[in-house]
Amino acid sequence: MALYYFGIYTLMVKHKANNNNTNTRCSESITVYIVIATVLSAALVYSQAYSYSYKQFYTFAQTQNPALSLSNLIKEGQPHQGSTAALVTLIDFSDLQCPLCGRFVKATEPQINSTYVQAGKVALVFEHLPNRGFDSLPAALAAQCTNDQGKFWLYHNLLYKNQGPIDSGWASKDNLKKFALQVPGLDIQKFNSCFDSQKYKPFVESNLALAHSLGFTQTPSFIIVKSDGSNSQQLLGPQPFPEFKAVIDKELGA
Amino acid sequence: MGEKRKKGDSMNLSNSSRRRQSITSLKTTIPLAFKMVFPNPIYIAIASAVFTTFWIVFNVLDQLLFFSPVFTFYLPDDAIAGFIITNITSALMGILVAMNVYVIRNSGIKLDRSLFSGSILGIASSACASCSSIGFLIISTLGGFGIFATDFLTNYQTPLRVVSIAILLWALYSVHNKITKPCILDSSYPKRNGETQRKRQPQQQQQQQKITSSTSTLKTEKDPTLTRDDII
Repeated sequence: MALYYFGIYTLMVKHKANNNNTNTRCSESITVYIVIATVLSAALVYSQAYSYSYKQFYTFAQTQNPALSLSNLIKEGQPHQGSTAALVTLIDFSDLQCPLCGRFVKATEPQINSTYVQAGKVALVFEHLPNRGFDSLPAALAAQCTNDQGKFWLYHNLLYKNQGPIDSGWASKDNLKKFALQVPGLDIQKFNSCFDSQKYKPFVESNLALAHSLGFTQTPSFIIVKSDGSNSQQLLGPQPFPEFKAVIDKELGA
Repeated sequence: MGEKRKKGDSMNLSNSSRRRQSITSLKTTIPLAFKMVFPNPIYIAIASAVFTTFWIVFNVLDQLLFFSPVFTFYLPDDAIAGFIITNITSALMGILVAMNVYVIRNSGIKLDRSLFSGSILGIASSACASCSSIGFLIISTLGGFGIFATDFLTNYQTPLRVVSIAILLWALYSVHNKITKPCILDSSYPKRNGETQRKRQPQQQQQQQKITSSTSTLKTEKDPTLTRDDII
């Protein structure tokens, strides 16, 4: 973008300088500069996309992180679904207030679930990355409290289904308690005491620390890793199913 | 009082008739601006290049277009409105850049400022579709105010984009004025023309000498003040 404006500005200056002795060369050079600026901008976009993909595939591919092994994540108490014997783990770093996380849950997650999680090939693990607003942390604490009673995914889906604009009040403490009332089989007294005491605040903060140590600031962010914590690969943003399929198939085949 | 009211009424009438005239004249001047600029394949190429670049940038920022691991474009339900706005913004950007280049090439008029403000607003609001990536940076540097800023940009993304389209439309209106004004004849045209012809006679003589000495180039590209009669 800056290239466009710089190019156009340069043309204006040059044109003004040459305005007295007008010739066709000047007007032709304007077009040449504009085309060059456009091509450079396109090249910039492409190179950024390429470097992003490079980072995505090769930065983490060679490292092994025991903290990301499925057994360790389950031991720590991370919400998860799918077989504990799955070959690959998909770790989802999300914020319950984030609209793009909502897009992933509605558009891509059902396909991953039916294709890989139900088939026992992939285990899906949720990590909290509450960085979008003031109500993000209470939402994460409430969701983690439902995990005590095995109701995390019901509550998680309920929140994304009823998601509103960030910090508009839809995820206020009172509303989070009201949403908990809608989860069938949830012991509300246990939930309220857990939520009010902020029992899982250190846990959510440790999730945040892990996300930052991995360089994640964007939600949703994903790590696709072999279940022993090796050969991890990143995907950033609410990417469509074909992107996940390409990485998961590679992990399953590797 | 009565006379004043009559005067006021006649003023209102003349204002409303002017407005009507200007609206009806837009129907002819906007297509005229397009006819003047876009028969030239260079401007079509510029508009297409700008449209394509902005379309890619906007859709990458909106997380609809992915280059890797596989090249994918997808359009979830929640992104349809944004995608339509993105297409309109990109198309307007393409047209505006091409028209502005036409203006620069054919006259010494400055580039329209609203092109910058409109495009910057469009880019900023679409960048905030995936605001969380810069959100952390803003939050960590600006604290609570940063959260307010990113919340505002994310929650009001669609209205902000509509505002950017409005600004781009205004830019289109002003740039089309710059293109077509020298060609419009008004009621005082013969008189004005007579005056300008008389004033310009010595200048034209000089120009004639220059033209005969240089290669055959169009008159309109040299002098933006030429009227339609001169062109014809």
